[in-house]
Amino acid sequence: MSIDNPPTIEVDQPEEPTNRPAADHRLKEWLSRGYVRRIIVLSIIIGVVIVPLAWVVIHFMNLSGAPASAIMVEIERTMFVFTVVSAPLMAITLAILFYSLTGWGRVTGEDPPMQESPAIRTNGTAVVLWIAATSILAGFLVIWGLVELATITSYANGSTPANQQPNGQKAIDINVTAQQWVWTFEYPDQSAITTDLLVVPINVPLYFNVTSKDVVHDFWVVELGIKIDANPGAITNTGVTPDKLGTFNIRCAELCGLHHAYMQTKIKVVTQAEFDSWVREMGGKRTV
Amino acid sequence: MTETAVVHQTHDVPQPKQHGKPGGILRHTSIITGTVLGVVAAVITYAIGSHFFVPWGTQNSDASQVGLNALIAATYFAWVIFFMIGIGAFAGPIRWALGHDLTHDDAEYMAGKGQGKWRYWKYTTDHKVVGTQYLIVSMVLLGLGGLLAMLIRTELGITWMEVFDPNFYNSLIGTHGIVMIIALIIVVTGPFGNFILPIMIGARDMAFPRLNALSFWLLFAAIPPLASNLFLGGIRDGWTVYQPLASQAPIGMIGYQVTIIVFAFSTGVASVNLITTSVTMRARGMTWNRVPIFVIGVIASSVMGLVWFPMFQYSQILALSDKVISTSFYNPIMGGSVWLYENLFWLLGHPEVYVVVIPGTAALMELMVVFLRKPLFSYKVAIAGFAGVVGISSIVWVHHMYMTGWAPSAGYPFMLSTELISIPFGFLVLVMLGTLWRGKPWTRLPMMCVYAVVWDKVVGGITGVYLSDVPVDQYMHGSMFVVAHFHYMLMGAGLFAAIGATAYWFPKMTGRMLDERLGSIGFWVAFFGFQLTFGSMFVAGLQGMPRRVLQFDNAFNISNWLSTIGAFTIGIGMLVFLYAVITSWRGGKPAAANPWGGKTLEWQTETPVPLENFPVLPVVTSDPYGYGVPDPYDTVPATDKQPAGVA
Repeated sequence: MSIDNPPTIEVDQPEEPTNRPAADHRLKEWLSRGYVRRIIVLSIIIGVVIVPLAWVVIHFMNLSGAPASAIMVEIERTMFVFTVVSAPLMAITLAILFYSLTGWGRVTGEDPPMQESPAIRTNGTAVVLWIAATSILAGFLVIWGLVELATITSYANGSTPANQQPNGQKAIDINVTAQQWVWTFEYPDQSAITTDLLVVPINVPLYFNVTSKDVVHDFWVVELGIKIDANPGAITNTGVTPDKLGTFNIRCAELCGLHHAYMQTKIKVVTQAEFDSWVREMGGKRTV
Repeated sequence: MTETAVVHQTHDVPQPKQHGKPGGILRHTSIITGTVLGVVAAVITYAIGSHFFVPWGTQNSDASQVGLNALIAATYFAWVIFFMIGIGAFAGPIRWALGHDLTHDDAEYMAGKGQGKWRYWKYTTDHKVVGTQYLIVSMVLLGLGGLLAMLIRTELGITWMEVFDPNFYNSLIGTHGIVMIIALIIVVTGPFGNFILPIMIGARDMAFPRLNALSFWLLFAAIPPLASNLFLGGIRDGWTVYQPLASQAPIGMIGYQVTIIVFAFSTGVASVNLITTSVTMRARGMTWNRVPIFVIGVIASSVMGLVWFPMFQYSQILALSDKVISTSFYNPIMGGSVWLYENLFWLLGHPEVYVVVIPGTAALMELMVVFLRKPLFSYKVAIAGFAGVVGISSIVWVHHMYMTGWAPSAGYPFMLSTELISIPFGFLVLVMLGTLWRGKPWTRLPMMCVYAVVWDKVVGGITGVYLSDVPVDQYMHGSMFVVAHFHYMLMGAGLFAAIGATAYWFPKMTGRMLDERLGSIGFWVAFFGFQLTFGSMFVAGLQGMPRRVLQFDNAFNISNWLSTIGAFTIGIGMLVFLYAVITSWRGGKPAAANPWGGKTLEWQTETPVPLENFPVLPVVTSDPYGYGVPDPYDTVPATDKQPAGVA
């Protein structure tokens, strides 16, 4: 059994319980305690590790392509901001958790320990500070989330978040039809050409009308950061403006039966000229 | 007042007459008569029903499918009802209806008096028997779910080929999901809510002992329909069984629906029983500020189960009626709505997570004070945390439906409510950290589970914050990130807490100590395997890997290989832990009545616990957290209201 001695009474404690020392004096005394200092140092270390780690991990997404739309940029930013603002609380929690393993002593052996720990029933300051900190954190996350949701919604509608006005470009409508286990894309404005490989011009807003012929599917354009269920008997909408040339992934993100895993296709983001020639090749006519 | 007291003295109350030997028909009923009657009834129902329900000769395949569905449903319900009759579940009510109420001797017989080990196979009302039955069944279900998980990870680890038929793979994930959900719902409140809680509050049994047996045997009866799925085409639609995919499913889906309908009765009965017991059966002197926190946690969990489980049941009743009588609640072609199903499902689906996590957390709070020799930090904050989670959990379900297109603007309020729930959930973390603060842990297995679970809760909680946010969820929804997150909550915080609770109460339940060395090895192997499995899965999710797939881009290979290695590590750890449990149960070191030095009432009675728990009912004079020595730093009482700075 290894049992630490209980901490000794500080000499500057007042004799009379009613003569409470001033708040700043108590804070100073508290901060002078060894374990408090060690926990603070540990918290800082953990916090300093978490933030760059999160940055690295979040950008793992780049393994399947860098963000290819303003929406995806906002999503990545939100994740990083959430990590940064949660990091202090997470660090303090983990620091106390790790420190308490041995920091205040430890008892091993077969029999219940004879040595009792301090009978701390509660601590008003700690409770108030914790509730205040978590409430402020949650409040920040809510406000950030609401603003970001409005932002990506306006991006999806082809307008700029700043003025909520359409930015003048007419969106290309694309009707997305899911069925077990293929995607069909129809361009109503381009003589209703249909394809199973999505080809779209860069920097032009796209507006998707998504539905399903059979069960619930989910239209997920991974690198563009958009996702919406394809429901039978209903049309759901989403939109995005791709701002990066390349080929990106479309995956079904809702279990839809036997070949759900293979219900994938690609979206090719090309220049306007390439898109026009592709439309001609497909036998369509660009009407806009 | 005096007058009525005189009139109603005990010996004046007419007692029911004893007919024959104590127990009556119950002397002859057991799991054997139940199974025989259930199987016979199911076979007869199938045989007779195939003439009525299935229009075999018709050319209309839809009609014959509906008939077949109805036949299977009727067969399953026949099994459940006649199993319950055969085991004697209705003997009490029938005798009561006939005016032959149970005598005291009958009640004692039903509680298992003098039946030895055989009482575990009968409709026994003793809460300790029911608790032990729940422990065994939850371990069997966890074993089955774990085995399915190993098969899933085998498929996902062998990235270069399809190991299983896609249909079989899809039914693996569905069956794994629902088996684990059922197992985790019962894994704490079942064994410990039934075995420990009544003793903990100083009661002789549950408030409704017969309902207690009913809840367990209904659960038992619900398992065969679920298990038979694997032979009838399986649950190919994930544990959520979204419509209308589920209506395409083979007849195995009927088993899922029957199981949920029956299981919902089981949880409802158990919840009513646990709440009533906790409210009305507490020992003299156990006022609400002296109730052990585990009891509060079980009440919170039961309230959520009682209120929200019926939603799940309704969702499946409607689904079953779509299948067997051709209604179209969920069939869009006939005017139904898939969103109706999703709403009903998630009304339970989200609170269910807290139904799992809260009793586990409360059990850890209960045991950590014993191993730290410290009072629980801020008992009232803990209760506020439970109450807050219970309250807010009822208004968050739409966060599972952000991406369904059902109501895009519902994202705003439900994002608000979902992020608000982190505040009361944070209370629970505060209570655990405050209790750890300046304590000297006695580093036995139950205490180490506290560390493991707090770590998992931090990871699960922070990743939950991402998912609660609509823009981030737009990327994460339906990806492996979600899978990793909820495994951190359900397995990391739920199952590992249940392991801690098992290790803690094992001596009281079995009379033997759990092998510390083997148990710890198993636990830590499983814990680190768990971190590898689901840590890698977060990365796969971030990379854009959808869930419930059996083949995927090569980009996800590495994280899946690591996950599979981790999963088999969990499997090995769990097997070691299971081995430790079995060997310790059979021949472990005999346990003293109070091996941990706990102050709650269950440790104050002898081991093994006698039939009615206490020779004399205890009287409670303080809360059970009177551990610790006066704080040497704090010469000022905590309740001191003097304003600061009066020096």
